[in-house]
Amino acid sequence: MPIIMISGAPHGLSEALAKRLQDLTGWPMLGRRVLLEEARKAGIKVGRLKTAVIKSIGPQEKLAREKDLYLAFITKRLCESVIDDKLIYCGRFGHLLCPGVSHRIRVGLTTPMHVRIKNVMEQLNLPREKAITYLEQIDADVAKWSKFIHRETAGQDPRYYDLCLNLQHINVEYAAEMIVQMAELPAFAATKESRRQLADQLLAARARLRLAANDQTKNAELGVRAKDGKLIVTYMPRQKVNEKIIKNALAGLEDCSEKLCTPAETSILWIQERFDPESEAFNQINQLAQRWGAAVELLRVVPAAGAEERPEPIKPAKTSDEYTGGVEDDEPERDDGGLTRTMDELIAEGRFAGARTIYGDKNDILDVGQEGGNYSLVVIGEMFLDKGHEARMRDTRELAIGIRDRFKVPVITSSEMQSRFLFGKRQMIKLVSYAALVAFIYLLVFKFQDPILSLLGGSLHEQWKWLSSLAVGLFVPFVAYCYSTVTGLLLKAVGID
Amino acid sequence: MHHIAVHFLHIDLGIALQVILLGFIGGVLSGFIGSGGAFFMTPGMMNLGVEGVVAVASNITHKFGKAMVGSRKHGEAGNVDKKLAIFLLVTAVAGIQLAVFINSMLFRGGTGHGAAKGAGANLYISIVFSTILLFVSLSMLRDLIKSSRQSEEDSGPSRKLANFFNKFNLPPVIYFKVADIRVSLWVLLMVGVATGYLAGTIGVGGFIGVPAMIYILGVPTAVATGTELFLAMFMGAYGALSYAYQGFVDIRLTMLLYLGSLLGIYLGVFGVKVVHEKIIRLVTSLIILLCVFSRVIAIPVYLRQLNMLQMDPKFDVYFNMTSKFFLFASGITGCLVILFFVIRAYRQRRGIQISIKVACQETPADLEPEPLSTV
Repeated sequence: MPIIMISGAPHGLSEALAKRLQDLTGWPMLGRRVLLEEARKAGIKVGRLKTAVIKSIGPQEKLAREKDLYLAFITKRLCESVIDDKLIYCGRFGHLLCPGVSHRIRVGLTTPMHVRIKNVMEQLNLPREKAITYLEQIDADVAKWSKFIHRETAGQDPRYYDLCLNLQHINVEYAAEMIVQMAELPAFAATKESRRQLADQLLAARARLRLAANDQTKNAELGVRAKDGKLIVTYMPRQKVNEKIIKNALAGLEDCSEKLCTPAETSILWIQERFDPESEAFNQINQLAQRWGAAVELLRVVPAAGAEERPEPIKPAKTSDEYTGGVEDDEPERDDGGLTRTMDELIAEGRFAGARTIYGDKNDILDVGQEGGNYSLVVIGEMFLDKGHEARMRDTRELAIGIRDRFKVPVITSSEMQSRFLFGKRQMIKLVSYAALVAFIYLLVFKFQDPILSLLGGSLHEQWKWLSSLAVGLFVPFVAYCYSTVTGLLLKAVGID
Repeated sequence: MHHIAVHFLHIDLGIALQVILLGFIGGVLSGFIGSGGAFFMTPGMMNLGVEGVVAVASNITHKFGKAMVGSRKHGEAGNVDKKLAIFLLVTAVAGIQLAVFINSMLFRGGTGHGAAKGAGANLYISIVFSTILLFVSLSMLRDLIKSSRQSEEDSGPSRKLANFFNKFNLPPVIYFKVADIRVSLWVLLMVGVATGYLAGTIGVGGFIGVPAMIYILGVPTAVATGTELFLAMFMGAYGALSYAYQGFVDIRLTMLLYLGSLLGIYLGVFGVKVVHEKIIRLVTSLIILLCVFSRVIAIPVYLRQLNMLQMDPKFDVYFNMTSKFFLFASGITGCLVILFFVIRAYRQRRGIQISIKVACQETPADLEPEPLSTV
């Protein structure tokens, strides 16, 4: 039997559907309201988190940590509420919880607007216009919440659901019956693997909460994951925590067969003028960091010409210990080139190793190497944006060479990271075609040497001097082009490009 | 039945393979340092029995296509400043005409016969060649040693000369976007005519043009190399058409040279992208130095031919052979050094790319579109 996760818009009929399902199946049920109340009682500042998100205060390190805690709490409660592999959960983003567990049915519920308006009018005793305004406002807030907490905006994207139900033509009764029928399908039956996944998520969530409750570990950047009952905690370089402190904080953790605490194996330095956590480059670097167990350090470069923005030589990552719950005083928004947002994403991934901004040029970037960063890879993203394309490419390349020599580490540009896509089937066809053409031309020339040499310097040349000149002028670049295409593609295929 | 001119060589497999190898070495050199093909390939082909004029004609024809491909590759890497190349081309033509005029006067002025007929011109060319290129290579080496003692910040080529000329800042000052430099038109004219004159006198373009662009105009090394190849494309086209009209181009030699050189040029250009600028300058200066040495060794022969030195003529062959040895040594050594750095850089990059590829393939990101943050 599966876990049913119902996700619906505020003042839709998701709770009614969940209740009807409970009546039909007798399974345990958990609702969003209950979860939030329990989270509050457990000391998680849900109210502050909501306010911060809704007020669109730029995500900060502390806020991201509070978010992690919140997610850990609801994961723990959800997992604990599952009895005999069964649970009905109704909320707004239930489909995004417990990822990877195959015995979940993720139900997306669409409720017609007029029904939601009617519900608001009845439940909150509001006139129709005010109910509409209220719903518009709450939908906008929910979208912000989703973006920040789950980093997803596509709440209605059918890819995220196993079943999408629209209550425009069917009622809650029919919808519940459909879900019950679906729950009986073998595809959603619990398996050993899916139970293990759920148990691992519960273990990781419990560990995360334990670490957050401990004074020595609560401010540390830790990566927590569990696999087959083993807990793996990764702490980032240059932090005050160590294996002993972490293990002390986790002492007596239930269902944990082993605790492994390791510093991040390595770190990646990512240098760029403007960061974007939604970019392809971020995705690739994040994947690489996951694979290597690496932490990512961000280095934002503000060109010397634009240094009036803030003429500080180096701005270290924010390290204040004062707790604010993520709610800071309003301050005018400052363009930090996407650094904070990217930093926040990395913190959430447990991959953040530090961030800084430098104001200057290539030489200032090279000086960063003298501060002893122990990097295993340096990635240079988009740099020298104020220059022309050619100068930008060249300066980036020279910077890469300079960093490699100074840091003594491999350096790669973000465009090179995508180079694996450069040689595909199309290029292979082109290579074979041009190689055949070149072979044909060479065969032709060496097979018919006599008439060709006669035209170039023999009897035919005496009569057709201008033709000889014209033939050379046209034929030579053609051969050079064809053969250079073959050579270029061949070298590209082996990674020399 | 076609009548074939006797100056075309019968090419067997052995000769073909040697021509391909010559092309490869020349290609690596010219891809990496922007010049070096002609000084190596022309005498190399002559050693195989190709007539001098055919060797020159086939090589210049080959240079035309090779420079076209090389400048295209450099262009893709952002290393070709076409605007700068056009300015240099126009001014260099004037310099070349001046050099041709002086050379012709010296050649006609010879009093002897046979070899001695051109000895005056040969001596003049050799002395200018040696003096200028010795100055260039030693300056580059001195600059390198100096910069390696200083901090990394000053590791680029010396900008003393460039800054000196920039001080005058005589209008009109022209901005070259790709090279990212501002140069007075008058400095540009002076450099263009001087490099044209020297190129016309000693027959090598890149050896003069590249250092001139780097040190006098302040052009980044990679752009100097790429721009020089772009220039060479036009000069090569002019030369190829002229020689073809005269009936000296052996297209077979040109095509065999391509088999090696285009592969070499790709490797050379790749080297420019991955090898540190210091290494590029070190290799360039050492190759030039060996070439200078090769030319200096030949000077006693010309002096003897002009009766300025008493020496047994049977020694000529030894001087010539030693001269050739150093010429080939410079090309082959340079090529091997470049290939060493290219392979080293390639292996390093390949390692990273494989790691990245594995990392990206093994992350099961596409299994389910899930949030990344849920614990």
